[in-house]
Amino acid sequence: MKKILLSSALCTALVYGADVLPVEKRTFDQSKFIPDISLVMDASYVDRNVKDDEVGHLEVPGVAHGLLGSHTHGDSNHATYNAENGFNLNYAELVLSSSVDPFFTMDGIFHFSENGVEIEELFFTSNALRYDTKLKGGKFNSNFGYLNEQHHHAWDFADMPLVYESFLGMHGINEVGAQLQWTAPTPFYLMAGFEILQGENEQMFGKETIGDVENPIAEGEDGPTLYVGYIKASHDIGDTTILGGISYAQGASRIDHSTDEENPHAFSGDAKLYGADLVLLHSLDSYSSIKWQSEYLQRELDGTQYTLDVDGNITGSPLMLKKQSGLYSQLIYTHDKNWKIGLRYDTILKNDVISNGLNVEQPNGLDKYTAMAEYHTSEFARFRLQYSQDNAMFNEAGQREKISTIILQTNISIGAHGAHSF
Amino acid sequence: MKKLLTLITLLPLTLLAHLNIAVSYPYIGALTKTIGGEHITTTVLAKGNWDPHFIIPRPSLITKVRNADALIMNGGQLEIGWLPPLINRAGNPKTSPSSATFLNLSHHVELINKPSEVDRKDGDIHPDGNPHFHLDPKNTLLLANTIKEFLISIDTEHRDVYEKNFAVFLDMWHKKMSEWSQKMSDKNGLKVIQFHDNLAYFNKAYGLTNIGTIEPLPGIPTSSKHTINTIELIKRENPCCILHDVYHSTKTADFISQKTGIKVVLMPHDIEALENIDNLSALFDYLTGAIK
Repeated sequence: MKKILLSSALCTALVYGADVLPVEKRTFDQSKFIPDISLVMDASYVDRNVKDDEVGHLEVPGVAHGLLGSHTHGDSNHATYNAENGFNLNYAELVLSSSVDPFFTMDGIFHFSENGVEIEELFFTSNALRYDTKLKGGKFNSNFGYLNEQHHHAWDFADMPLVYESFLGMHGINEVGAQLQWTAPTPFYLMAGFEILQGENEQMFGKETIGDVENPIAEGEDGPTLYVGYIKASHDIGDTTILGGISYAQGASRIDHSTDEENPHAFSGDAKLYGADLVLLHSLDSYSSIKWQSEYLQRELDGTQYTLDVDGNITGSPLMLKKQSGLYSQLIYTHDKNWKIGLRYDTILKNDVISNGLNVEQPNGLDKYTAMAEYHTSEFARFRLQYSQDNAMFNEAGQREKISTIILQTNISIGAHGAHSF
Repeated sequence: MKKLLTLITLLPLTLLAHLNIAVSYPYIGALTKTIGGEHITTTVLAKGNWDPHFIIPRPSLITKVRNADALIMNGGQLEIGWLPPLINRAGNPKTSPSSATFLNLSHHVELINKPSEVDRKDGDIHPDGNPHFHLDPKNTLLLANTIKEFLISIDTEHRDVYEKNFAVFLDMWHKKMSEWSQKMSDKNGLKVIQFHDNLAYFNKAYGLTNIGTIEPLPGIPTSSKHTINTIELIKRENPCCILHDVYHSTKTADFISQKTGIKVVLMPHDIEALENIDNLSALFDYLTGAIK
């Protein structure tokens, strides 16, 4: 009995002792240096009219393969967001950010998913450079265009615009490199930026050797191989903000489908990407606004296409020139702090595939229509219902498969207060 | 030719002599201009008739921060949702929070209603306490003094001007304060309802008691259940009125008013929140005369 009393007294003293000692008096306490931390969850329920096994084999003809569903690349399994019918846990995004010293801040954004951990972004930003320049270094989303820099959960729809996803893949231009931006001393907003990036985009700007290093299908290049530049300007007219920008990206291109089970092929050459974006936001009051956002992308891929047999032997290597363009345009109405609705139109406008000087006929009418409504219980939780009709997907037999998708998406965040830029 | 050369060389100098100070809210702009006089210009980032918590970080604001020689903010996490990306994008060392030309006013006044427990189940609370401290006229003096010291520290050359402007303001404000106290003397002890507790300091200064808010919790939109509870609370406690901000819809407040018979009184929180409120005195003139 005595023992129990004694130990319970000791425990109380310990707990009490820990409680009463204020943080500032704890010797060597470092808790005040903890960076800002937040965790964002993105999960969805998907109802698609095409089976999971089938959806991964669909393609946007002449443009891109495997935009939907999950795929196996060698040993690793790679899944896009909202890959499966039914429930999907897309990711848990962990964000850490803090000042480093008087000269730098650092941000880390990590995606935890069932396939592992990805460093989404990890960069330092200078805030002490002269001439109003800003330097960023590490891995980050390029500021190409408008949407590219934003994180998935900041988008107004659960999926990426068709033209972005089919040209650049679901991460867009997300690369290791350095970025320099300069804001001009003008009365209106004018910003110019330049980026040197490693060039690891699998869908357009790769640089890796394709095939066996000893006897490659296409030789790789040493990085950095990707260069991005842009100018953005903005002006307010009353409660309306207009933001416009033009962007350009140029780099090596290696697109590796040499280990695909069906029609293995590869591309090696150079790629150029042009972008123009325009955003109009009219605010009706503190909480209500109308936003019209459009982007046009145009690309040129110039190089050699390698067609392969199942053993990886080259069966043909025609010169390939692809001139493709597309756009999306979306309108979002924010009613109040709770409700938001939106419409989006996607299309591939131009799809010229020229093989050995001969134009390879590609199907027309590659477009997609999306509508969404979302409800926010607070600033930290969002539920979104989205419906889309996608007319851009074709199966391996070259037949169009109209895909209707319903996505119920949830985004929940805890921790530090997020602040999104315009 | 010589004239032209002098003009060209003098032009940037005159520009430099003039401090361009970016401020987050109109009331800070007015105070800074009062103390700074002709030696400064102020650039106000947020509009006075909008919810100070939710300002769209328009790119034009990046330019305003980029072109500023100093930045004065309210602090207390009022700007947490919109100012950090602007500062970050502007890349201006003079507006970086660690620089000597950055001023966080909340560090110079005592914040009330600091939550003992910080948990978002209690809504989007301000962990450092209620940040709407500028609505107590006594705090205005503290803020004016802080801004004066700040201006002197970044522009010592004009110390005398800033001291003199401050003294003039002090004198005027003291007179005004006794006027307002007189106007509000019969309001002491009144109970009030608000949408969001942004008049906490005003209420404390004049002895009003806030007994409830129309929003169930800070930042959480109204719900019918909470509205019914509020109506019952009003019937039980007999508050004088609903003091309502200008940026939330008065729909729910009007409904409650209809059910209970108490008045809805619009209370501007800042300069330009309502027409004709174009300076700080006018703001308090209005506030102290609003409750009839």
